[in-house]
Amino acid sequence: MAVDEHRAPRTTESDDARRLVKARRPGFGIGLLKGMAVTLKHLFKHNTVIQYPDEKQDLSSRTRGVIALKEENCTVCMLCARECPDWCIYIDSHKETLAPKREGGRPRKRNILDRFAIDYALCMYCGICVEVCPYDALFWSREFEYAEYDIRELTHEKEKLSDWMASVLPPPALEEGAEYPGSPTRAPEVADGVAAPVKPVQAEASDAAAGTPERRGAQAAPLGTGGRPADAGAPKEAKPDVGPVPGRQAEAAPAPEGAEPAAAEAPPVQEEEQQAAPSQEQAPGPEPTAEDHAGPGGRTETASPEVLGIQMGAEPASPSPRESTETPSPEVLGIQMGGGPAPSPGAGEDAVGAPEEAETRTPQEGPDPEEVARLQETPGPNVEVPNEEPKPTALDPTEDPKEVYEAVLSDQLAKGSSPEVAEARAKVARVKAERGIARNPGVATKEDS
Amino acid sequence: MFDITLATWQILVIKIIVILTVVPVGALVGGYAEHKVMAHLQHRLGPMYPGGFHGWATTLADGIKFLYKEDIIPAAADRKVFSLAPAAIMVPIIMTYLVIPIDRALIVEDLDVGIFYLLAVGSLSTIGLLMAGWSSANKYALIGALRSAAQLIAYELPIVLAAVVVAMLAGSLSLIDIVETQNWPFAIWPPGIGFIAFLLFTVGAVAEMTRVPFDMPVAESEIITGPFTEYSGMRYIFAHMFAEMGHMVAFGGIGATLFLGGYQPIVPIPFLDFIPGVIWFSAKTMFMIFLFLWIRPTFSRVREDQLQKFAWKFLIPVGLALVLVTGAWVLYV
Repeated sequence: MAVDEHRAPRTTESDDARRLVKARRPGFGIGLLKGMAVTLKHLFKHNTVIQYPDEKQDLSSRTRGVIALKEENCTVCMLCARECPDWCIYIDSHKETLAPKREGGRPRKRNILDRFAIDYALCMYCGICVEVCPYDALFWSREFEYAEYDIRELTHEKEKLSDWMASVLPPPALEEGAEYPGSPTRAPEVADGVAAPVKPVQAEASDAAAGTPERRGAQAAPLGTGGRPADAGAPKEAKPDVGPVPGRQAEAAPAPEGAEPAAAEAPPVQEEEQQAAPSQEQAPGPEPTAEDHAGPGGRTETASPEVLGIQMGAEPASPSPRESTETPSPEVLGIQMGGGPAPSPGAGEDAVGAPEEAETRTPQEGPDPEEVARLQETPGPNVEVPNEEPKPTALDPTEDPKEVYEAVLSDQLAKGSSPEVAEARAKVARVKAERGIARNPGVATKEDS
Repeated sequence: MFDITLATWQILVIKIIVILTVVPVGALVGGYAEHKVMAHLQHRLGPMYPGGFHGWATTLADGIKFLYKEDIIPAAADRKVFSLAPAAIMVPIIMTYLVIPIDRALIVEDLDVGIFYLLAVGSLSTIGLLMAGWSSANKYALIGALRSAAQLIAYELPIVLAAVVVAMLAGSLSLIDIVETQNWPFAIWPPGIGFIAFLLFTVGAVAEMTRVPFDMPVAESEIITGPFTEYSGMRYIFAHMFAEMGHMVAFGGIGATLFLGGYQPIVPIPFLDFIPGVIWFSAKTMFMIFLFLWIRPTFSRVREDQLQKFAWKFLIPVGLALVLVTGAWVLYV
């Protein structure tokens, strides 16, 4: 019979071999009947076929259908067009200059979106554009029934993409107890935890504007110049940077140049600064402080700066809170560290502007330098302390480039390099010597030879 | 019932009309059954649109579609043989319908040599297949034709031997006698012999129709449609589809007649006698057809050499042994 060749030796030991032996035994057609039982089972099962187009499938909320565009969010950064592996996004834009918001302000430049088209004949629905968009202007929709008779109709323009927004699902709900950004839930807790009575500071526009720009400028100055705390000098000490919110301070980077001289000088410069400051703000309003204080809790007093200070970077980056965080953070931190009293008024001599108060410090004053210094040495978990003395690449040249050139050239020729190679290497060494860049130890230097 | 005497020629005409109606309709219904039953066995729906209600008109629509297709004959083909091949396949199949008893009195022609006639005529379609493949001027059609010829010859024998067993047990070659002598339980009695004969017949029938798992000659995914590769339009339907569906119904009927008791009720309870034999016969035929359809989506294709080995080295020796045993049974029991 035909089954002879299927008989395997039975003296095997390993598991696999055992199974193989078992599988090769003549089954007398039982396996066939088992197979028939399987198909018969399916005959009697309820059929799960979805008869499209009469019936449609229940699509999950994450279904990748068409990609919709929310025009107002698009800043024409071109990231989506760049990252698209298929190059199927076509974007055109132009820059326009708008009138300044305030009298004498700087004219604003805006990028206006002219054309935004996605060619769905090319699109492979990878979603990289949706992922990469930093402004949440692209969204997934579940629509997939947009086949056309003409392939040119598959390029959806701005208008059509905006129409698709109607089919975009709302974002999924956050889990139980999660915090929505800007929610008032945190403010009350924190405010309740504040031991010391908070002196409400009625920040006047002028004062606030006067205080804050310089604050911010001074604040930014030490960081803006990066590695020169020594250069910050006396005036800067009065407004030492507070570690906790470097991010926002970095945003004030445009300020330093203007702020530096302003900080060290008398109030007349402050007025300039004051004028310059609002132009840097992206948030609207001549009363930035007031609004800024209208932080999560909608409070307009110091409560929110404290809150913001405590949150330490968890705030959505609005430009002005940073100016006020500098002020309250030491206070707040002082409070955090056990409800300590207000710092001593020791830094009053350097503080430009208002005299300090015993218990709390107004936003117009600088933060207590002692406090700040102490805190800088022991930063908290969310604090970023900037690097000290980052080394610039340009050093003073210590070697004579010409001599270096000669030395390297002769050295290379002696080692047997071809003339072109030797010359090239010598030239490179000369350039490095000019710029003060340390060269490889293997290359001949003036000191070595 | 009616007091009519019909002349011979009139009876002949009626019989011809009956046959020529039953066979195509049977093939159509069989084809639709194949679509739907196979689909549900594979956990899908099958055709749902043609005709509206679950696609009942699928095969009808197919037939009409093929009517208006172009009739292409390859330039190098042997035109006469090419044109005659579908007929050579279809006619023997139609002829097998002549002797199948639907009810005690409902048989087109009750031949005394019913089984003999059946087997003889049934083998003729092999020639048609060879004609089709060879005249196509296509290498792969030729391969398919030769494979099918070899297969049909090989699997003719298990069918013949099983039929011989039945004839010996019944003591007659007439199909009506065969049906009459069958007792409940069908296909099992005599113990062992009947069942093995039934299995032999079923396997042989499936192979005879070049159905899966024995569809090497056709081997859709490999040599397209084997002998029928060059056929298009209505010629193709007659040569392939019609032939296969007609064959399926015919073999279903033959199986029901030989092994399942034909038009007799399933269980010999007098209560069931009022149901006409036609219904019983139809039910049994449908069961046989369901067997053929059930096998199709379940098993994978058997390779040509495995196919031949199975027939010649297993089925035929078993069949011969069975004949021997049946002979002994008949003589001494």
